[in-house]
Amino acid sequence: MIRIQRRQTTPRWLLFAVPVLSLVAAFIASAAILLIADKDPLATYQRIFDRAFFAPGALTGTLVTATPLLLTGLAAAAAFRMRLWNIGGEGQLYLGAVGASGVGIALQHQSAPILIGGMVVGGLVAGAAWAVIPGLLRAYLNTNEIITTLMLNYVAGLVLLYLIFDSQSYWRDLSTFTARQFPQGKVLADAASWPSFDLQFAIVPFGFVLGILAAIALWLVYRSTVFGFQVRVLGDSRAAARYAGIKSRRVIVAMMALSGALAGLGGASEVGDFRHVLDPRGLQQAGLGYAGIVVAALARYNPLAVPVVAILIGGLANAGYSLQGPDFPAGLVGVLQGTILFFALGGELLVRYRITFASRSPAPAAAAGT
Amino acid sequence: MNNSIVVVLAASAIFYGTPLVFASVGELLAERSGVLNLGVEGMMLIGAVTAFWSVQHLSGPDWVVLLLATLIGGLAALSVSLIHAVLVVGLRANQIVSGLALTIFAGATGLSSYVGNVARLGGQPAKHEFIGLNVFGLQDLPVAGPILFHQNALVYASWALVIVVLAYLYRTRTGLHLRAVGESPETADVMGVNVARYRYAHTLAGGLLAGVGGAYFSLAITPNWIDGMTSGAGWIAIALVIFAFWRPELTLVGAYLFGLFSSLGFVLQARQVHLPPEVFASLPYVMTVVVLVVVSTGWAKQRLGAPAALGTPYVREER
Amino acid sequence: MDEVTAGQSPAVAMRSITKRFPGVLANDSVDFEARHGEVHALLGENGAGKSTLASILTGLYRPDSGEIAIDGRRVEFHSPKDAMAAGVSMVHQHFRLAHSLTVSDNIVLGDSRAGWLRTSARTIDSKVEQLAKRYRMPVDPRARIWQLSVGEQQRVEILKALYRGAHILILDEPTSLLTPQEADDLFVTLRRMTDEGRTVVFVSHKLDELMAVSDRVTVLRGGRTIGTVVTRESSPAELARMMIGREVVFAPSKKAQDLARAKVVLELLGVSANGDLGIRALNGVSLSVRSGEIVGVAGVSGNGQRQLAEVISGSRARTSGDVLLAGRKLRNGDAEEAIEKGVAHVPEDRMGTGVAPSLSIADNLILKSHRRAPISRLGVLRRGLALANARDLMKRFAVAAPGPDTATRLLSGGNVQKVVLARELSSEPVVIVAANPTRGLDVGATESVRTLLIEAAARGVGILLISEDLDEILVLADRIAVIFEGRIVGVVSRAGADVQHIGLMMAGAS
Repeated sequence: MIRIQRRQTTPRWLLFAVPVLSLVAAFIASAAILLIADKDPLATYQRIFDRAFFAPGALTGTLVTATPLLLTGLAAAAAFRMRLWNIGGEGQLYLGAVGASGVGIALQHQSAPILIGGMVVGGLVAGAAWAVIPGLLRAYLNTNEIITTLMLNYVAGLVLLYLIFDSQSYWRDLSTFTARQFPQGKVLADAASWPSFDLQFAIVPFGFVLGILAAIALWLVYRSTVFGFQVRVLGDSRAAARYAGIKSRRVIVAMMALSGALAGLGGASEVGDFRHVLDPRGLQQAGLGYAGIVVAALARYNPLAVPVVAILIGGLANAGYSLQGPDFPAGLVGVLQGTILFFALGGELLVRYRITFASRSPAPAAAAGT
Repeated sequence: MNNSIVVVLAASAIFYGTPLVFASVGELLAERSGVLNLGVEGMMLIGAVTAFWSVQHLSGPDWVVLLLATLIGGLAALSVSLIHAVLVVGLRANQIVSGLALTIFAGATGLSSYVGNVARLGGQPAKHEFIGLNVFGLQDLPVAGPILFHQNALVYASWALVIVVLAYLYRTRTGLHLRAVGESPETADVMGVNVARYRYAHTLAGGLLAGVGGAYFSLAITPNWIDGMTSGAGWIAIALVIFAFWRPELTLVGAYLFGLFSSLGFVLQARQVHLPPEVFASLPYVMTVVVLVVVSTGWAKQRLGAPAALGTPYVREER
Repeated sequence: MDEVTAGQSPAVAMRSITKRFPGVLANDSVDFEARHGEVHALLGENGAGKSTLASILTGLYRPDSGEIAIDGRRVEFHSPKDAMAAGVSMVHQHFRLAHSLTVSDNIVLGDSRAGWLRTSARTIDSKVEQLAKRYRMPVDPRARIWQLSVGEQQRVEILKALYRGAHILILDEPTSLLTPQEADDLFVTLRRMTDEGRTVVFVSHKLDELMAVSDRVTVLRGGRTIGTVVTRESSPAELARMMIGREVVFAPSKKAQDLARAKVVLELLGVSANGDLGIRALNGVSLSVRSGEIVGVAGVSGNGQRQLAEVISGSRARTSGDVLLAGRKLRNGDAEEAIEKGVAHVPEDRMGTGVAPSLSIADNLILKSHRRAPISRLGVLRRGLALANARDLMKRFAVAAPGPDTATRLLSGGNVQKVVLARELSSEPVVIVAANPTRGLDVGATESVRTLLIEAAARGVGILLISEDLDEILVLADRIAVIFEGRIVGVVSRAGADVQHIGLMMAGAS
């Protein structure tokens, strides 16, 4: 008979062992799916890891995909830790891109620091504003944020399409005849390109650096600020928070804003670091917001673990893009990501509960004193 | 008269709303047992791709192939929902994260896309598809004809489904037990109802129905296969359950309302009414938010609240 | 052996039952036996192992070792269903009822004799009505559970068991939520059942009612059987000694004082408020508490006590009326202001409301002071200070825990309550609102909680003691206010208190 009992304390090594083991298990499980499709799993995995981390320039490419995941991962981690289920990172990222590119266009004649600073702020603010809508609904009307944030993702995607394809908006390039026939966004000035840092083995985008700083800041916020304390109380027990005079509504709205700002920063980095244009199709292709949730869950909502996981998942995604083609099945990356998460979720059981295998017959009474 | 905009709209509202009926009745069953499954979108896509694969590879009379394909779509989605069931019922994982993981695993960048691409299903026209039937020869009846008597078989199946589920919930013992499990698993357990078994069974039923809903996309709406072809219907199905206050007959109303919105765009465009397509496309999502806001007011909550144990794992011996 | 001497097997025989939970030996080789047609009380303090034993008898837990016999036949229960099939049913302290379903639905739930389709509602309704009449437990079979009072819900629980033909009924602390009159009605019902030869196992720690209702008593202490006695041949003093293991030191009491001239520190003027579902829960409550006074609020659970406490502490908004603290009006629904001005609150639900269970003791001790200096400055927490504060308070209030970093949910009920009291009393309050502060605590912890409250009153703090335990109010309060359906239906001084009269007021009889 299997017995499951709640742990009083969790051994530290388990917190590391469980994610690592879930990774291994996920790769083994996904091998079955590859075998069914008559693909060689080992060769496929080798190609994936090569393209993700080891080939020349691979790590640079991985950081490109990891950067938005780092930021959307932090966005999810921040909110989920409070049990605020913001799954709107996707839409908040789109809006962040809209905000950043809007500012980028408006300030295109300014010097680079002002321009880039403006784009960062634009992304933060637009992402936060989009997230505040479900935040307010949740705080004041008690509307389930899971569904509202999700629905707003779709609306945000449509906003992107509208701005570039179905309107004469500020973001759309209308300067030439071809641009009017084949809609695209205005390309930003060179000064609006964010800097990057060459570390020999890889080139680190500015957005990734911002993400690392944000991770540390988030960790500090949780650990030693009044706001972080209130978030922890609220995440543990809404009743206790109310009892302690914590203004739950304000904290919920603030947390949604913070979470949305982080995702919005991800959108800004997509524009500033990589795309230099508001590109609806490109932004929507990757499901960066949803993948951020995977990242956060694998990091067990610990901001300091998010960068590591982001590089790992970003590596998989990067390999997926660069290997795309007839001999590399699309969708494999999602399968891998999903499977990793399944095993991590299952492994969580080991972290929270102690599982013992007892024989079916009752054990003899130990030292039955009378 | 049968081409008047109202009749066309009504008929196409039912046509486009039907996959939502399947998926949301399925989700309703899962939620009634206390399991929230956010993986509907992924399960629908699995249903869509496997059903489409089946019509391309099976041969036989139309109705046999379509029946089999729909079943295969349902069963494929059911097996995917088993992962969620094991994780949240057996291993007590967080239902929200597990459901999301399911959608990522199975969805547009995951297994459904993998299967579709490996089998090279993209760009093929369907060899069999669901078409409107002429029921009792009444399809030309004014108004009612096109709306009620010229739909495809799955539409009629969805009506039967709603009636069956209604009877199941309120007229059978198992249905009573199901409601008790979602409301108060402790009570059900003490009264000898196997809580875990009920949760497994209804999560799987939810998967099956989501798969059928997905099959509807690839066999009836756009008889071909495109990556991510349900484009958010799974999420709307989840919202619909709330919209319908966990009552099967109301999911019908909700689904058709949403069907109306998704067809409104096409119909108006055909009638030369110019509005950005995004406005119509976003209506279902915005409506869902609005309805949710209304439903979550105190008044509605008290009378129509969710199954009280929704989202919470049940553990008997914990101390 | 018993079969021979008695000529008839006992209804229940449990031998050498042992059950271990992580860190706790809940039942240590316990023996228990109950006969046909008797009310057999199971007496013990909280944590003595009564509930575990009862849960084993109903198949909810499985013993690690030991055996159970029903009517002399050895049985092994794998689930409550097995127990029910053997005729054993339990009425839990927290009712196991599905609130959105009707009375009849709840009663037939899980009934294995019924077919696949549901028996027609009318047949069930009339069956339920017959049963209800036979045992004098009036209840409407078509009502939904959430529409019923607590007493009615308990009747549904008992009917559920009888409907299944239970001949052994276990009641866990059945009177804890009832008025004295409702409890008397319950006892009549129980007598009817034993007259028919059924067995009632009555789990309780209240000596008075055991003396009144039971034929025999088995006492548990620390997970072991201390002994079984015939109630008529025993006395409350003997039972208390068996239960506690030493001479009973009656928990401390406050000397009743006349404080008519002391300053009024808390005043409620016509306060009304709604409950969670938007239904009026408090109706024009006016009350005052003077410095150094303990005012007890007596009443049956669910008559607005929780809302009363929350309105004063600001965590619930009032719909009308005023709350005055030392003569100054408190803002409506502003818990932060109430805390800063000196309202301390010991909530009824200590784990979950009084503390955030997963947070550390240190964090919980700054739950209310985290916003202001010295614990925080410019929005930054000073963790060192919080830890020092925790060490200090844990020592002063004798909180038994490995350290200030320990997660609060790992503490025992008594220690959690000490954490709450340490935080609330150390904030130098003007007024303390304490709701059921000793419920579920053992004798030692009860004693120290009461002493702390009495000491606080002696320092001039005004205390509003909201308690469902009338005995507690009778030893602590200077004045007693009775609450019924959200109204204060009477205020008496302790000196002139008549228990019978208070009981009638609690039941709504004027």
